[in-house]
Amino acid sequence: MYVSLCLNRNMSPALANDLGYKPLDGGWGWMVVVGAHISIGFAYSTPKVLSIFFEEIQENLGASYREIAWISSIMLAVMYAGGPVSSVLVSRFGSRPIVILGGLLCGVSMVTASFGNSIVYLYLCIGVIGGCGLSLNLNASLTIISKYFLNKRPLANGLAMAGSPVFLCIMAPVNQYLLQKFGWRGSLFILGGLMLNCCVAGALMRPVVLPRKPSTCAAQKNVEEEPNECNTKQKRSCMNNAKTFLDFTFFKDRGFVIYLIGNILFIFGAYAPIVFLSAYAISQGVEEYSAAYLLSIMGFVDMFVRPGTCLIASSKWIRPRIQYFFGFAMVFNGTCHLLCPLIKSYAFLVTYAVFFGVGFGMVFGLIFECLMDLMGNQRFPSAVGLVTIIECFPMLLGPPAAGLLVDVFGDYKYIFFMCGSVIVAGGVFIFVMNIYNYHMLEKEKPAKVREQNQMTIENQASASA
Amino acid sequence: MSASWKQLLFQILLLLVSCRRINTKTPGPTPPPLVPITSLPTDERSASLEGNQNKLPNITGFWRKDGDEVENSQVTVQLEGDQYKLKRVFSIVSEESLGSYSCVFGSEEAKIEFVLAAPQIGEVRDKPIVSYVGDSGVIACKMEETKPKPITWNWYKANGTDKEQIFAVAELLRYEIKNEERKTKLVVHNLTEADGGLYYCGAVYAISTTMSHVELKVISFQEPLKPFIAIVIEVSVLVAAILLYERCQSKKNYTAGNGTIDQTNTMTQGENNEPEESSSVRQRKI
Repeated sequence: MYVSLCLNRNMSPALANDLGYKPLDGGWGWMVVVGAHISIGFAYSTPKVLSIFFEEIQENLGASYREIAWISSIMLAVMYAGGPVSSVLVSRFGSRPIVILGGLLCGVSMVTASFGNSIVYLYLCIGVIGGCGLSLNLNASLTIISKYFLNKRPLANGLAMAGSPVFLCIMAPVNQYLLQKFGWRGSLFILGGLMLNCCVAGALMRPVVLPRKPSTCAAQKNVEEEPNECNTKQKRSCMNNAKTFLDFTFFKDRGFVIYLIGNILFIFGAYAPIVFLSAYAISQGVEEYSAAYLLSIMGFVDMFVRPGTCLIASSKWIRPRIQYFFGFAMVFNGTCHLLCPLIKSYAFLVTYAVFFGVGFGMVFGLIFECLMDLMGNQRFPSAVGLVTIIECFPMLLGPPAAGLLVDVFGDYKYIFFMCGSVIVAGGVFIFVMNIYNYHMLEKEKPAKVREQNQMTIENQASASA
Repeated sequence: MSASWKQLLFQILLLLVSCRRINTKTPGPTPPPLVPITSLPTDERSASLEGNQNKLPNITGFWRKDGDEVENSQVTVQLEGDQYKLKRVFSIVSEESLGSYSCVFGSEEAKIEFVLAAPQIGEVRDKPIVSYVGDSGVIACKMEETKPKPITWNWYKANGTDKEQIFAVAELLRYEIKNEERKTKLVVHNLTEADGGLYYCGAVYAISTTMSHVELKVISFQEPLKPFIAIVIEVSVLVAAILLYERCQSKKNYTAGNGTIDQTNTMTQGENNEPEESSSVRQRKI
């Protein structure tokens, strides 16, 4: 038996293939990307497009705007907070059943919400149940991409993440049409049906069949990871899964901590400009319809930038140092925001919207690819769960903090200054700290290679014996 | 071309400025955009005459209301500097006094129109409110902050070409009217298909009532059910198709591949395109 191991210098030091098999990088993998595209699209766009129904629900149920807006917030919060639970479920059952379950939950949530007569009922149905469904979708879709792709993984991630702006652009007019034709109840009912398409997405996510021969079990053993795949170690793998539910050992990983801090800073400043862009434009004298158009421009640009960025990221110059690219993307995004208050005319605002779309798309295209790059495919599901639950807080705090700034200073430009500076700080932090991180990884690499070579020699000896 | 365009533009610009006309009103609502109470509300507009190089010392002017000439309103107007001023006091006592007034100079050489009306409801909802049988429908009307408050609000339902006033007191179980100063809401409980149609909200002022309409559409629950069922069928068909295809594929691979199941999903020679110098891979040759 001939076993060879070669660590490639082109890949980042952390990008050892710890799957134990060579991923497809194509073929059915592209259908899986389509499924992930649909699933992620619904996950990110639904909380935003639901706001189209808010005015009618407000009138019908007699609630205030603030009470209604909580529906979206609760949905987003549950979607992000459900990350760890969904990681465990995905590790245990695989992506397909989880996405199908997520799709069913979302469908059920919307359908039951259409019969609601009180705000609290809507909080529970749309917010909690819907949020749970979406969180299952998100985590499972990202995980399965990491199982099917390695070399083309950035592109696959970019195409899947592009689902968010695409679905936003599709669902917004669809929801408007449904609202006019069927009122808010009928629209929620039909929206529930549309979300059942996540089950189709789930069906596309064919599970990856891993080789389970006992002889290969020893050969697959990787020094860093727990040997979850081995038949002989099934019972222990359950316990290991439970331990990785909220695995705080991730905090010992340097790259992970850097990524996390940078991400928290980014998410804090990312959403507030979107929320306040129209209001800012109107305050600068732009008329209402044109102000709303700015966001559509941003979304449209975002759609193409995500896969485009990831195509660039998968090139052999950038891929090994993808964390730098990520840091650069954040700095670009933050700089756009800092420059925004300097411009006054509508033409420049449109330019800002375009650059905002570019920056936003670059960061969000890379955001999960960078985590996969850092954590490797085995640890990614639990890592993403931990990251999303931590990101829940800056995401919920960001827009209200920005709103507070507006109330205190009475001027929208301070939002852009704050968000821009926070995002630039995050980007610079990631960039600088990764210089240190890559340097340390290079230092540790020879030691790792020696260890793994030792392992293979041992395997050879045991196999031939 | 340019000279007459310029003149027309000048005329339009001047129309917005002033033409003296004073009118008195009994206490009550005011015509837009004036605020009443103490001073006599005045609306002043002006226009320019075409070919105004040769200005006659006298010119006749008279008033019209709703197209009909106002009796005894014909006056000879003296040229004052560069202007002819036509003034008249109108008493607005009732709804009949409201309408479209115009002052005419010469023989239709210059005409300026004033429209006197109670405050109009600005935002009229053109799309119908959709509600379901058995549900409660809520219809709302709002008077803008810049306009005066109405005394009260009335609601009417269209009955053929007529309007029938809705008295919530009479039918407490069916209708509920909630009036705030500038907003009003009509809640119709237990909707039936017959409840659909045009509803009119009237803002009542001392001088008159201004109306606005909203359409209520009542549909049965089967309406959204049809597209929903269509979507559920589509989802089931697609899921079944995908799973069937997968089963066929795996059967083919099983019979063709000597029992090595991992060939479908793990890469081997077939799928491997580029010379992979780039992956850290354990290559097993058995």
